[in-house]
Parts: sequence; structure tokens; C-alpha cells
Amino acid sequence: MTTLMGITFSTLLTITQIGMYFGFMGNATMIIRHTDADVWVASKNIQNFDFANPIPEDRINRVRALDGVESADRIIVWWGFLKLPSGGQEQVQIVGFNPDSGIAAPWAMIEGDAYDVKGGRYMIVDKTSEQRLGKLKLGQVWELTGKKFKLVGISEGIKTFTTAPLVFMSYNQSKAFFPANTATYVVAKIKDKGRLGEVVETLRATMKDNDVYTKGEFVYKTVMYWTVQTGMGMGFFLTAILGLTVGGVIVGQTIYANTMEHIQEFGTLKAIGAKNSDLYKIIFTQAGISAVIGFAAGSIIILLLKDLIEKVGVTLYLSFWLFVPMFFIILLTCLLSAYFSIRKVKMLDPVMVFRG
Amino acid sequence: MDIALETKDVTKIYRQGGIEVVAVEGVSLSLEAGMVLLIMGPSGSGKTTLLSMMGCILQPTSGTVRVDKGVVSGLSIDLLPDIRKKYFGFVFQSFNLFPSLTATENIEVILRLKGWKKADMRETAVGLLDAVGLKQRAGFYPRDLSGGEKQRVAFARAMAGDPAIILADEPTANLDSKTGNSVLELLKDMAETFGKAVAIVSHDPRAEALAHRVVFLEDGRLRQ
Repeated sequence: MTTLMGITFSTLLTITQIGMYFGFMGNATMIIRHTDADVWVASKNIQNFDFANPIPEDRINRVRALDGVESADRIIVWWGFLKLPSGGQEQVQIVGFNPDSGIAAPWAMIEGDAYDVKGGRYMIVDKTSEQRLGKLKLGQVWELTGKKFKLVGISEGIKTFTTAPLVFMSYNQSKAFFPANTATYVVAKIKDKGRLGEVVETLRATMKDNDVYTKGEFVYKTVMYWTVQTGMGMGFFLTAILGLTVGGVIVGQTIYANTMEHIQEFGTLKAIGAKNSDLYKIIFTQAGISAVIGFAAGSIIILLLKDLIEKVGVTLYLSFWLFVPMFFIILLTCLLSAYFSIRKVKMLDPVMVFRG
Repeated sequence: MDIALETKDVTKIYRQGGIEVVAVEGVSLSLEAGMVLLIMGPSGSGKTTLLSMMGCILQPTSGTVRVDKGVVSGLSIDLLPDIRKKYFGFVFQSFNLFPSLTATENIEVILRLKGWKKADMRETAVGLLDAVGLKQRAGFYPRDLSGGEKQRVAFARAMAGDPAIILADEPTANLDSKTGNSVLELLKDMAETFGKAVAIVSHDPRAEALAHRVVFLEDGRLRQ
């Protein structure tokens, strides 16, 4: 029972930490991944999606001029303050996109349409922002950094790493919040995906005062920023490793105690002809069964708690492909934790059975 | 008669804190099929050490142990479990049954170690329990058996897989006199009816009456 509790606790802690990490990284790269663009052009030395500097908006012409580029668009990602009905203000992240192409438009609309932002001071806000902004209703008028915007659409589940409410609007309207004649990103679609590397290299050669990334590279850069440079990734992984260690120690202790409790039986088995490998099999089977049951219990608990955890604003990424490697990690931890028991039975002298 | 087990000038020396302790010295004896050999001697005379060497649990410091005419002393320690499994059945003073297994399952453990098929194990195990008069207790756990019944299960387990040699260490020590007598009869039966070579280490003077040969150990040496 103690073994199972140890493994269940270990599974819970480890999967929660890794699920939260992947959840945060998923949020941090969500807009990049959902934007239908192969190439991202940004300011020099950009570190991640959320903190970008302005670049001249006419850079789009250099991108469009390149053979192999099918289309290009500009995006503005910036910050603003939304005045709350209560009188306070909430910092929001503005995403300005081209409603005609729909590049970088919100994709999970539950009310309205992304195209509705065209032609005026219209905005789309994500439903997850209701925690901070209160109930959202189409037709509401909000004051954003001194300018009034009408809510024409509500998306659901679109977040960034910063957790600031996301406000989507047309590129033209978002320019009002940004230095003149600048944009945050120029994004492009490539005609022939097989030539992606070649196009990116050409852009890098011709736009030396900008950073140019493929979608995958920009996702990676953003993930590495939050993971390594902020130390956040290390924090998550240390906690996950701590969970595994604590679980491993509990399992090791209980399996060892169990082995000692049955040491006479192990000695008898050895005396009557069991090989060390036969005894290892018994111990490993015990550890393996504990791993399977404990992992199953921990997994069920975390799946049951997922909604509750997400209600408080934490994204927990749980998928089959997280559970599969985690199972093998937990199993390996349990098998490794049987080391002291294995050593004990290996050294066990079967003569002990004749000593009463 | 065929010699099942033979020791020649077997010596066992333990080294404890730089001091050499001679537990058994120059013991030569043989054990034939159908024979009961009784090894007697005072406590600390080396009986158990000798039995351990005969049973390939301990390797002698010098001398040879032959099992089924093959020399086993000097073999790699990794090979000894297979020798024990193939040739020996063990009966222990404290029975050493597996408490979480039924009487039948205790016997099946040996058969499984010997590589028997699962389908044949149950029938054989119940047959062996029948042979020791415990068929009705087949599904009982050791905690529900009397001392005599436990030792009978231990005998049935020792017979599992038909080993040529049975080694018994103080088999009557934890039993009352009546049960002890029946256990000794059972050992004699193993030798005379089933043709096993039986070696017993015991203090019990009643065992002398059934043994075909009695040897005395004193300070690790044989006194015929």
C-alpha cells in the first residue's frame, strides 16, 4: 500500500509538472503554431514571441519581392490597457492581423467571425479573459488605451505565456498603438515547401538587420527562452525529478523492507535451487506491478483533477504521448529502486536456511 | 547399490577475523540409493556444515564431493543451483514453507523451478500430498497446518520433481514425539519405497533405529 501511494504521488507530481510545463510552452507558442505562415521575420535578437521590437513595415516588400514567396503579411503584437467597468485598468496583449488574409487571426471563434474586425474599431477577445475582464458580450464597447473598441467576436482557449488577455483587431487599427510605419512581424507563406530552407537563407542574407526564422525555429526559440533563460524550465524539471526521486525512494524502501521480511523465503528458494535471476524476477515483478498500479492510480487522479486545475487558469497539457514516456520513466524508477533488494538477495547465503 | 553422493576428505575452514576455524575436517562418506544415513554429533560438531557441502550449498575448502559420479566441488558457484535443483530435495528444521502459498502451491514452486509445465504441476503436487497423507489439506495455508503436517508438506516438496537425494536437517526437532516418529517413518519410506538416498542430521536417538548407517561427527571429524 505504501509502495502504491509512493508511486501514485510520484506520478501525480511528475505528470502535473511536465503537463504544466508543456501547457505553458503550448501557450507561449500557440499563435506561432496556429498562424498559417512558413517564415517569420522579426527584429534583430528577438528572444520570444511576446517581447518583440518594431521593424519597418516596408520590410514586407523585400519579402514579397523574393522569388518563392507566395504571400506575406504584417502582424503587430503589442501591449495596451483596457479600462474596466469598475474603473481599473487591465494590461492586454494586442494582436493586429490582416482580416482579408486571416493570417494570425483568432482561430477558435465561439461568437462572431475573425473577419468582423475589418473596417473599424472592432475587437475580438478570448473567453479565458473573463476571469479578469468580467462577462464578455458582443456589442460591448471597451476603452483600449484611450480609444473605444466594440467587441465583435469571442474566441476560446487562445492564450499566450504572459497570461495577459488577448485582444485581436485589424492590423490597421493596431497601428494606432505602435510606433508609426512599423510592424512587429512580417510573416510569409512559401510556394514550394521543399524550398523553405533556401528561401529562409536568402532572406537572412538580404535582411541582415532582422532575424528570420522558419515556424519551427521560432517555436523552438520561444520555448528555449522561457525554459532556459528564465530558469522556469529548470524549476519544472527539478520538481518533476524531485517527484520521481521521492517516489523512487519510497518504492525502494518498501520493496527492501518487503524483501527483508521475506528473506528466509528467499534463502529457502536459493537453497532448493533457485538462481539469483529467479529471485530478481520476483523482485522486479513486484516493482513492475507496483509501477503499473501506482501509475494508473496517479494518472486517473490527474485526469479527474485536470478541469479543476484549468479552472484556476493553469493549462495542463495531458496527452497519450505524455503518458506513454512517463509510464516508462516511472517503471524504470521503480525497477532501479529495487537495486538494494537485488543486492541483498544476490549476497544472500543459502546456508542461512540451516541455521533455524 | 548405486552411489548417489560421495565425499572424499572434505574439509571446510572458515576465516573469521584472521583466525581459521576448522568446521569439518577430512570427512569421507558415501550415500547410496535406498539408504538412510544418519549424521549425529553434538552442537557445533560441523553436522550442518557437512550437510551444506553434501547439498552443494557450500563449497568445501578442500576435498571432493561427487553427485551422481560427477565432481561438483570446485564448480562455479553459478552452476550449483542447477545441481541442487536436479539432484536434491531438502527438508529443514523449521519447515521453511512459503506462508503465502497453499500446501499445493508450495510444492508447485519447486516444480516451476524445475521447468515443469503448468498443466502437469497441480496433479503431481496433489499426488505428492496424497503420498504423505495430506491430500485433504491441499488447499490449506501453512498457518492452518499443525507442525507435523507442515513437515509432511515439506517432505512432499522435497520429493517434487523426483530428486535422487533427500537431505534433512533436524527434521524432528520442532515436533512432538508421536509426530516425530511418523516423520522418521516417512523418511525411511522415502529410502526404502521410493529408492531415495536419504541423509539426516539429527540429535534424535530414535532416528538411529531406522538408519542404515550412522556416523558421528566430533570437532568436525568423523568418528565411526
